[in-house]
Amino acid sequence: MAERRKYKKRYCKYCEAKVDFIDYKDVAGLRFSLSERYKIMPRRLTGNCKRHQDMVATVIKRARAAALVPYTVTRKAVVVAPFENLR
Amino acid sequence: MRNYENLVIVKPTLTAEEIQESLKAIQEVITSNSGEIAATDDMGMRKLAYPIDKNERGFFQVIYYSAEPSVITEIERKFRLNEELLRFVTIKYDTNREITAWNELVKKAQKKAEAPKAEEKVAEAPKAEETAPEAPKAEETAPVAK
Repeated sequence: MAERRKYKKRYCKYCEAKVDFIDYKDVAGLRFSLSERYKIMPRRLTGNCKRHQDMVATVIKRARAAALVPYTVTRKAVVVAPFENLR
Repeated sequence: MRNYENLVIVKPTLTAEEIQESLKAIQEVITSNSGEIAATDDMGMRKLAYPIDKNERGFFQVIYYSAEPSVITEIERKFRLNEELLRFVTIKYDTNREITAWNELVKKAQKKAEAPKAEEKVAEAPKAEETAPEAPKAEETAPVAK
């Protein structure tokens, strides 16, 4: 429930910002559409429109292939702050 | 000619010079196949989201180039033969919207590449610039810390 309340106001964030193209390398921007376990969040929770949800989904899949975003997070393979850029 | 982007991840076990050499070799694969490199963008040594061949880190570079669509299979075949290359992602920029995005990305990458050169020329002035690009980076990482 807590998660649903977070997304109560349903409008497409990307439409509001008039996003035409999402870059898969901009990982911080993708965080919004990912769950704690790095699953792609469904449209009914984020409020994304169909067009932008499709864009987000392909972009996240690209980022996963490029090892920028993990495919899965399990108890065994915990990713500690994967978005932090370690040097 | 079509616009493409390649993200390549090079093995972290190499020394800095070896990394630069292998990156050059990668770029040569593209140029030798009549591709024109528009810009390159070093993302530097990063932690991988998941281990690839037991490597926890990798050196990321993004190459923006335009080439004939028929050449891409050959480029990818050469990439697969390269053992220093952990992973590559090829992305096509085809529609008008994507092409404008590609142009912007190229411009951004070129600016980023020119910035350190400008710093060398003038000693004092670029120091202000130096702090400027770092500030947005900190903002980017900030929401991550949640």
